[in-house]
Parts: sequence; structure tokens; C-alpha cells
Amino acid sequence: MFRLLEESGFTRVRSAVVPRFRFRKESTQNSAEAYGVKAVMMTAVKPPD
Amino acid sequence: MTDPVDEQAPLEAVLKDEIVRMYQEVADNPSGSFHFFHGRGAAELFDYRPEWLDRAPASAVDSFAGVGNPHERSNLQPGETVLDLGSGAGLDAIIASWCVGPSGKVIGVDLNPAMCLKVQAHAAATGTRMECQVGRMEDIPLPSNSVDVAISNGVINLSFRKRRVVQEIFRVLRPGGRISITDIVSAKQLSQSIVNDPKLWAS
Repeated sequence: MFRLLEESGFTRVRSAVVPRFRFRKESTQNSAEAYGVKAVMMTAVKPPD
Repeated sequence: MTDPVDEQAPLEAVLKDEIVRMYQEVADNPSGSFHFFHGRGAAELFDYRPEWLDRAPASAVDSFAGVGNPHERSNLQPGETVLDLGSGAGLDAIIASWCVGPSGKVIGVDLNPAMCLKVQAHAAATGTRMECQVGRMEDIPLPSNSVDVAISNGVINLSFRKRRVVQEIFRVLRPGGRISITDIVSAKQLSQSIVNDPKLWAS
């Protein structure tokens, strides 16, 4: 996602993990952890003219 | 050779239907059991201000299904035009409308016409400059260079065509515009069994 933002022309791309995100169902959370799934917050800017 | 996007078109259509169905179920049955946390508890987990949750319509709070808090870093200012991509029952759009005030504007875009009606009803009831357009994030129904800020909460991960979604967000932003989004990412490629399961994908 970070890469997609940069490749699409966004600049000043920043990201941070959402610390308390987790899935409600334990089985889903376990699968998510196996794939390295997490929630992130991202900000970026479209360059001015 | 067929375009990989065309090959996935039938599955994408099924997925869109499942997304609409699942999040409609959250709105219709907020006490239901889902793969994800939702409602006021989830919003509090992501540090939504209590005064926001007290002030917003209960239907918007109860149906909240985000994965974080895009308002933490959105820095919305009075007078700005904001796109809320995947606005759902409208909690983030409503909060954004408070931030940008009567000189600003909030435009929600959502797949589900019923969700758009909720947002529009709230706007009518409160006199806020908020509207909702039914549409796909892969083809945002807004002119180019028309919004100052794009926010989104747990939505882009639901698309098979994330690059297209990001390009569309770039297109509708004005030069100098910005995004503040929260979403789900994975460090590894998901297995095909997960990709092919609309219920898991939509969660």
C-alpha cells in the first residue's frame, strides 16, 4: 500500500501501525497474525502544481 | 490472453455483493457477531473522542466498522472539502463535517445506496453540508481535482484493484491535497482459498 501510494504520485507518505487493532474472532486473529495482517494509518500529499 | 482483472471480474462481483451484504448486516443488526469489532467499543478502542460518540447519531456509532481513526492525523480545517471513501453508516463523515464546518463540505462515497440514504438523512436533519454518492472506489464519481482531503477507514483493502483505487484518490484530490486513511495490510500474499472466500475477504 505504501508503495502504491508512492507509485501513484503521492509524496510525504507516512505510516504507523494502529496499535490496538485486532480481529474479534480468535481464529480470524490467528490467521491474520500468520499473514502479518495489521491495521495501519497512512498519510500522504498530492504534490502541488 | 485475458487481462487478470477480467479473469477476476466474476469473483469481484461476488465480493462486492458480499461487502454490501456484510456491512448492511452490521447496520441492521449491530448486536450481531462479526469477525471484526464494531460499534462504540471499536471506536473507543481507536481513541475516538467520547464527545464525538455521544453527539453522533446512535445508528452511525453502532454501525461503525472501521480499523483505526483517520481523524488523528487528518488535520481537517474549516472550509475544506473532504471525501470519505467507503462512508458506510457515516460516523467518519459526520465527524469530518463538524471539523470543516458550514463553509466546508463532506462527500461520502459508498457502494450501498441504503448507507448513502443514512448519511443524507443525517445531513438533512442537522443542516450540515454533507452528501453521499453511490459508487465504487475504483471509479470515484467525483470530478478531478475537486477535494482537499480524502479519508477512508478500512475500505481500500476490500478492493481487488487497489492500485486503481489509489490512482482514483490521487485524481480527485486537488494539487496539494492530502489523505489520511487507515486500512488493513498484510506482510504476506494471502492464500488463494482466502482470496476466493468472499466472506473472509469482506471481513
